[in-house]
Amino acid sequence: MSTAIQPLTTIGHVTPRVDAIERVTGQAKYTNDLKLPGMLYARVLRSPHPHARIRHIDTSAASRLPGVQAVITHENAQVIWGAGAVAGGRQYSDAIKEITRQRRYIFNNPVRCVGDAVAAVAATDRHIAEQALALIQVDYEVLPFVLEPEAALAADAPRIWPEGNLCLDVQNNCAPVVSEHGDLAAGFAEADQIFAQRYDTGFVHNAQLEPRCALAHWQGETLTLYTPSQGIANCRHDMARDLGLEDRQVRVVCHYMGGGFGNKNQNQDADLIAATLARHTKAPVMLEYTRRDDWLGMHGRWPTVQEYKVGVKKDGTVTAIQLIGYSGMGPYRKNAGGISGIELYACPNRYRSLSPVYTNRTTSGNFRAPSEPHGVYGIQSIMDDIASKLGMDPVEFTLKNMLRPTAEHPFTNYSLDACMQMGVETFDWQARRKATPGSDPGPIKRGAGFSFMMFRAALGMSSAVVQVDAQQHYTVFVGVTDVGPGAKTTMGMIAAEALGVPLSQVTVVSGDTERCPYSVGESGSRTTIMTGMAVVEAVKDLQQQIAARGMPTGNDVLVASATPTPVPDGTMRQCFGAHFVEVEVDTRLGTTRIVKYVAVHESGRIINPQTARDQIRGAVIQGIGQALHEDLLYDPVSGQPLTIGYYRARHLTHLDVPTIEVHFLEVDDGYGPFGAKTVGESGIILTPAAVANAIFNATGIRMTSLPMTRDKLLGALR
Amino acid sequence: MRDTPDASSASLQGNRPPSEHNSPSTAISLTVNGVRHHVDVEDRWTLVELLRDHLDLTGTKLGCDRSECGACTVLLNGQPVYACAHLAVWADGADVQTVEGLARDGHLSPLQQAFIEHNAPQCGFCTPGQLMMATALLNTIPRPDAAQVQQALVGNLCRCANYNAIVEAVVAAGAQQGGAA
Repeated sequence: MSTAIQPLTTIGHVTPRVDAIERVTGQAKYTNDLKLPGMLYARVLRSPHPHARIRHIDTSAASRLPGVQAVITHENAQVIWGAGAVAGGRQYSDAIKEITRQRRYIFNNPVRCVGDAVAAVAATDRHIAEQALALIQVDYEVLPFVLEPEAALAADAPRIWPEGNLCLDVQNNCAPVVSEHGDLAAGFAEADQIFAQRYDTGFVHNAQLEPRCALAHWQGETLTLYTPSQGIANCRHDMARDLGLEDRQVRVVCHYMGGGFGNKNQNQDADLIAATLARHTKAPVMLEYTRRDDWLGMHGRWPTVQEYKVGVKKDGTVTAIQLIGYSGMGPYRKNAGGISGIELYACPNRYRSLSPVYTNRTTSGNFRAPSEPHGVYGIQSIMDDIASKLGMDPVEFTLKNMLRPTAEHPFTNYSLDACMQMGVETFDWQARRKATPGSDPGPIKRGAGFSFMMFRAALGMSSAVVQVDAQQHYTVFVGVTDVGPGAKTTMGMIAAEALGVPLSQVTVVSGDTERCPYSVGESGSRTTIMTGMAVVEAVKDLQQQIAARGMPTGNDVLVASATPTPVPDGTMRQCFGAHFVEVEVDTRLGTTRIVKYVAVHESGRIINPQTARDQIRGAVIQGIGQALHEDLLYDPVSGQPLTIGYYRARHLTHLDVPTIEVHFLEVDDGYGPFGAKTVGESGIILTPAAVANAIFNATGIRMTSLPMTRDKLLGALR
Repeated sequence: MRDTPDASSASLQGNRPPSEHNSPSTAISLTVNGVRHHVDVEDRWTLVELLRDHLDLTGTKLGCDRSECGACTVLLNGQPVYACAHLAVWADGADVQTVEGLARDGHLSPLQQAFIEHNAPQCGFCTPGQLMMATALLNTIPRPDAAQVQQALVGNLCRCANYNAIVEAVVAAGAQQGGAA
């Protein structure tokens, strides 16, 4: 069920951020802006080898350098970084900590990638800390290495872990992750044609502008940690578990942070290293990662290989989909390694085998929609190809095959076809698309591509506290951090709307575990829905108190809290989107220029139209970077990473960016805070697929490898 | 140069970490946001270190420390520079403007106001650099079009990729104020 959107009082209106002045005047304090009396500076020494055993570390010269207060290595600081490995995308727990055979420490021996942390120094000055790193003598026994997931699974491949290179799951099982629906063999038997294609995708860093850092401060047995975290509650729990403390002994503070894009909803090794150094030195320690540290300490989206086989009838009905996938996780399985996309199709016969594999590249981490953009690129490339070979419009082919609600699997509402229809009209799909791919006569060729998605918008547990004082000022306490999307403002707007007061009567307190209740953290596009619902429920409680007792007087305050834990009712709740892009490919140079980009999204009711629009625009531009440029390349001979930093990864600049047109189809499905759904991750999911399909339409060449760089395009065009 | 308030060098010494080393240093004087400073700088300090760690002007951000991202952009004698790639000693006698110097008497500059109205900051980490580069542009081209803004700000990366909103804000500030940024 969905109802047409009616305007609300606060929600739905363009609203400047509540902390906008701090953001434009330099007053906003990020972690590295903080200073504590007697604070030391720390630096990390990293492995220069892709795989090596440390025979011996001599830290004596470094320790003697005046100003050096502590040098720690795997010999004197054996701290498990639980969230750094094995969790496989699940929240690391005490049970997993006991069970796992593949523990990751803050310093590991052997070191398993270039950039694996070897030692850390705390000193009175950052330059002294850097000098000290150069004085640490490490005797390495260099070991053979492997960089590619399929090569790593060969019987004679160098073993990164004793159990082999296929990642163990949390129960130490060693097998590909298989999901099966229907009868694959029957589906292929039913098909008139079978198509097969292999795709591979690059290693893309979150590359948030603020390098990782952490400021740790012990007072007795209590740790205060200032850190750029997407989830202060999860970070606190992780820190307590890894350091053998109770949650109440750890306070995590993050008021401003310079982006995250998925990689920071747990504790970071920087947090643990800073805390360990601070404990050794009995002083506050500020650990600053350099840009290179940030690039190599942990990276983002896992590189994949995707082998598809798709069965289709003559009329374009897909009867079977098979995916054999490999994800390069680096030497530690920090995250799941998922490849999503085939479940977007109604085809009842589906099989996916996914192998997360250890390699001697750096660790893969979550990056905005961790499993989706690369998987959607793969499946929607082969489907686009099939549509073309069958002589069908890809939009028509999709309308025939995309997942729709059924009696057994109802949705709260469904608007994928409406999104596609709106995109077709706004973009002028029929005029921009080449009926014959590559048909422009000259060397500069234009073409158009399309992609679609749906993405989870489920409800879930989170907490909020709301109070009112005698001056009728309301304070909302939520454990969110504002990574950039504007969560503080969004929470304030939801509270103001629920309370029926102007936003100016509401203050939002966030980003400090000592003052705020649990929040799921800014990942999984969950903050607006989950913590937003908690705000709505807490306001209801407060209003009941006010009705029963009247408004507070004098110094009194009324306080209400809520931790709603929604019970699933069997309906799927999804947000929807369709993207249309026109590109211009210069076939002499191999360059691709985005000419026009239309993004249509249904994300339920939009809370703040301006910040929601810019979430989509930013996600699309990141997706264009993933499609065309970004990839951490390694030299196969030396195992050395080559494209470290913004310049070499060729991140998009002001000059590379077209205006992204964003359209929201607003609905209220009766779930979530005032009907709001997810926004943050959804925009990036469709972009690489849409750009790849547009390049095909322009050139007639199907690009099977991301990123679609100049050299790959020129090679394919030759 | 106009008269400037003079910050005492004694208080600056108080901000310095304990000196347990003999790194070469040089006495310089510079004006930052209209305030004159006399300070003993280590020869290895970059300008961004001097500003952030020793003058407590942490609005200027350090994003890469390798001249790639532009987060540390400040105006040096009116010209935009990456403060991570500029040694502090080179700023002897210079006039420096940082993001903290954009608002005058508690009033935001038209450019800052436009940044708020157009949602130009997302995470906000690149914002000070974008503001300073755009201020330099508006001082030269009072009413830039979008293409001129994109050209001028090409060295200021935004990983939130909020480029559209930043350009819209700068164009609006120019159109509204005739460039009196």
